[in-house]
Amino acid sequence: MKGYFAPAVCVLLAYLVLLGPFTRAMAQKPFEEKLGLVPNPKVLQVLLPDYQEVMAASIIGKVILYYGSLTGHLDQPGKIIYAADYPAMSRTVHAALRLDPYNMDGYYFGQAILAWDARQYQLASDLLEYGMQHRTWDWQLPFFAGFNYAYFLSDKEKAAQMYMRAGELSGSALFNKLAGRYLQESGQTQMAIDYLQTMLKGAHNPAVKKSLQVRIEAFQAVLLIEQARDRYKSVKGRAPGAVEELVVDGFLDTLPPDPYGGRFYFDKNQQVHTTSKFAFSSSPDSSDSTP
Amino acid sequence: MSIAIVTFKGIIRDRVPQGILSCALIFLVIPAVSALSMRQVTELSLTLSLSLVSFLLLLLAIFLGSVSLWRDVERRYTHGVLTLPISRGRYVVGRFVGISTFLFGTVIFLGGLTLAVVAFVSATYVPERAVAWTAVIAALGFEMLQCLLLVGFAVLFSSVSTSFFLPVFGSLAVYLVGGASQQAYDYVLSPAGQTLTPLVRQVAEVLYYILPNFSAFDLKVNAIYALPLDPSAIALTACYGLLYTAFVLILAAAIYSRRELG
Repeated sequence: MKGYFAPAVCVLLAYLVLLGPFTRAMAQKPFEEKLGLVPNPKVLQVLLPDYQEVMAASIIGKVILYYGSLTGHLDQPGKIIYAADYPAMSRTVHAALRLDPYNMDGYYFGQAILAWDARQYQLASDLLEYGMQHRTWDWQLPFFAGFNYAYFLSDKEKAAQMYMRAGELSGSALFNKLAGRYLQESGQTQMAIDYLQTMLKGAHNPAVKKSLQVRIEAFQAVLLIEQARDRYKSVKGRAPGAVEELVVDGFLDTLPPDPYGGRFYFDKNQQVHTTSKFAFSSSPDSSDSTP
Repeated sequence: MSIAIVTFKGIIRDRVPQGILSCALIFLVIPAVSALSMRQVTELSLTLSLSLVSFLLLLLAIFLGSVSLWRDVERRYTHGVLTLPISRGRYVVGRFVGISTFLFGTVIFLGGLTLAVVAFVSATYVPERAVAWTAVIAALGFEMLQCLLLVGFAVLFSSVSTSFFLPVFGSLAVYLVGGASQQAYDYVLSPAGQTLTPLVRQVAEVLYYILPNFSAFDLKVNAIYALPLDPSAIALTACYGLLYTAFVLILAAAIYSRRELG
């Protein structure tokens, strides 16, 4: 027994000496190496047919830890202090979601890094739409996609579609309102009215019902003005300069009121807007503000 | 029946339960690891628990199934046993029943741990969708069914082999091929697969019907994300598994009956 003591102590000391440089070398490894190369999902599906979900969770966990290692300081949480390899993260998350298309962490993180950090808005939205094919019950995916289309990509028609879906899945009045608004802004006022009327039929809460009714009323007023504008164009061969011209020239009997208390006007693209922005103002004077 | 009991006692004597107990300690860290998830803590606890159960059952099925017959021959126990008034076929089936009973006990134990861990995690981090307990139990049950089929294959390879390697690597190969057979078949039927020669397509189709299809037994995704189960597909898979296992066992018994045991 005594004979083993000295070699054991020597080996232990050597190990302790090695431990510091070894740990530092591991910590300073390039991020690409830390993240590792994820094999093609098809290969993983064949090699590990029973463990796709756990593989996906492990890969996404790696990306999250890698991302966490980029933001080192607790006093400035969220501040990226190292260069992030967004393409590598994106590729890895995509591979994981091919293995487990239901993994919500993947979509949540994909949206965070692709839309907000890497500014790959279309790629993020495509990823979310892929997720919607699988997580058919989840309102968060169309909600994120709707936001990307409205805020980053300015595609109001797609934003409306996504918010309609989020509204259907969650039953949230907010998404239904947003869907109606983006439909109207994308020039599909009649569709927005039809959509909101369908929502109204299914609404039970009196406050939500009232809110939907007011919005429908406002969009019906917009539709009247749009139809008069189009008649004006076809008769006179030019667009009207202001909404009031429609009344003066007899295309409208009276200017329909905005139930939110605003005043309708044409923007530079001849789209109908209102100074109320389809919302009740908290201060009584603000609705009178000129566009 | 006595062979089954002897097999079961042999597994206990080999301290396999202690090995399972030490692996089961991993269940203790699953709640902590699951908490690393951003949006699906309960789902991750289910993923980890079911994958751990699946992995342990796979190891047990391959090694217990491969070792039993081969070791008996190697240690010359078989000669003693076969002097008893039982047929070789019944001997093979007895071994299979003993191993299956042990696996059944293991799946109940590990399944109980899975349910306890998931109940704890889902009470701490309430999931968006309620845990589908029926789907979780179904996933565990079908994992067991898949292992029965693998044990059948391990016993079949043991019945022809004089070495330990063919049963182990043979069963592993069956596991890998069985897991990929559905994907290969889907590929052959897809537009991309139409570029293959008709002969390759026909061979692939024949192989698909001959080889086991393990993807049917994998209900983990239904359990993890509370996806609805298709009762008719489940019933068909259960029948498929039982019939396939019965056929493999009959084949193993027939081969073992004619084997030279020198």
